[in-house]
Amino acid sequence: MAALATSWLLWGAAAEAQVTAEPSAIVFPDPAKFARGLYTEGELGAVAFFGPAGRDVAPGFAVGTRVGYDLFRWLAVQAHFLGSTHSVRGDSPQAGQLLQTYQAIAEGKLTIRFGQTSLFAEGGAGLERLSTNVLYTLMLERYRIGFTAGGGGLDYHSLSRHFSVGVRGDYFWLREISGSQDLMVTTYLRYTF
Amino acid sequence: MPENHGGFSRLIPIATLALGCVNAPLYFASPTPILAVTGQNDAMGNPPRIENGLTLQFRNPNQTEQKDLDSQSAALGFAVPWIERAHVHLELTYDVTNTDTKDGTFAIGIDGASEYTKYDENVVAMALGAGNNNAPNFIPLIPVTPQILAAGKTVSGTVREDDFEEGELDLDAMGRWMAPFNAVLINNSQVNPIGLDMVPPNVVIPALIEIDVNFTANAAMSCNYGVRVRDDNDQLLHDSGDTLFSPTPALFQPPAMMATTN
Repeated sequence: MAALATSWLLWGAAAEAQVTAEPSAIVFPDPAKFARGLYTEGELGAVAFFGPAGRDVAPGFAVGTRVGYDLFRWLAVQAHFLGSTHSVRGDSPQAGQLLQTYQAIAEGKLTIRFGQTSLFAEGGAGLERLSTNVLYTLMLERYRIGFTAGGGGLDYHSLSRHFSVGVRGDYFWLREISGSQDLMVTTYLRYTF
Repeated sequence: MPENHGGFSRLIPIATLALGCVNAPLYFASPTPILAVTGQNDAMGNPPRIENGLTLQFRNPNQTEQKDLDSQSAALGFAVPWIERAHVHLELTYDVTNTDTKDGTFAIGIDGASEYTKYDENVVAMALGAGNNNAPNFIPLIPVTPQILAAGKTVSGTVREDDFEEGELDLDAMGRWMAPFNAVLINNSQVNPIGLDMVPPNVVIPALIEIDVNFTANAAMSCNYGVRVRDDNDQLLHDSGDTLFSPTPALFQPPAMMATTN
């Protein structure tokens, strides 16, 4: 009976005897555990125009999305779609009229990760279309081609494997709108499958 | 369940594109030079008036559309316009600047033409003034309330789509349905439909295809305007090989002038 009552002590001693080395240092967070591959992003922010269009178009609210694929931990390709809405400003009769912009851009993205945080730079070429010809009546061109000069941002991983959030800014050269530019600044939520 | 979290991101571009496809307007700037008056009365002591306008260019209906128009016309018993008020929505925005050193009052009157009828307040005023020496009485198709404008100031305004809709109804009533022009022009049909008795309840009202702006002021002022068009059925003429719709609207003549010209 006494042997039975003390048998748990013997079992415990046997378990300790199996430790043969110091446990390895835990890497936390471990970026290798972050999901990688196909991803989507939803973003909210603002777009502001500069140059000739900046005089006539007020900054506006923007909503967009990206669909991309991580080729490597440090390199991805992505398609970016963004729409924004603006009002015409100035002293023309068209002042106050609403105007939407639609941008579609093919981009490459370089990432440097520092644990849970990463910095990235991105750039590419794309198209921009305006919803109306109101800029044409203001002696600016109506549509539509431009090239991103590039952009970048900061990503923060949530540690839930699939999700991260971040902020980014991108610069868009609107060659056909009298050489104007726009700057988009957005915050995003990313989901990696 | 990671598959359930990416849906929102995928919906964003669809929603954005859907919003972008909803009836985006087209804008037309006023002809140059912009309307400007010196404020000096003419030899008859009347304040200066100036007018310009623009004609919207529409395409001709294709065979299917023409067939539909013909069948509608046959069913209703009267002509159905190609450019309908229900599908072409107009709005005019304007800026008026007082360039004088004194305050002044300005007035804007909008006339125009549908594919059937053209209205010109100057012609009507001339008819009404025939045989008397009274100051001309201008009755625009779509009036803008006169405003006092301080020296050096600018004021903006909008002639809304519902203002144009009222003017388009009045013009069609005068041109096709023998409505007394002064009754329908002076009265808002939604408040007092006097003069519209002959207009069929199922009438299809034509939209304006020509917009003429009359500007008058008793001080040196200028008026710049723009026209916004919402073209539901893509009837405006584009560079697509379509041919230009070229109706020949009849100039409306008030009864007094018709009596003198007959």
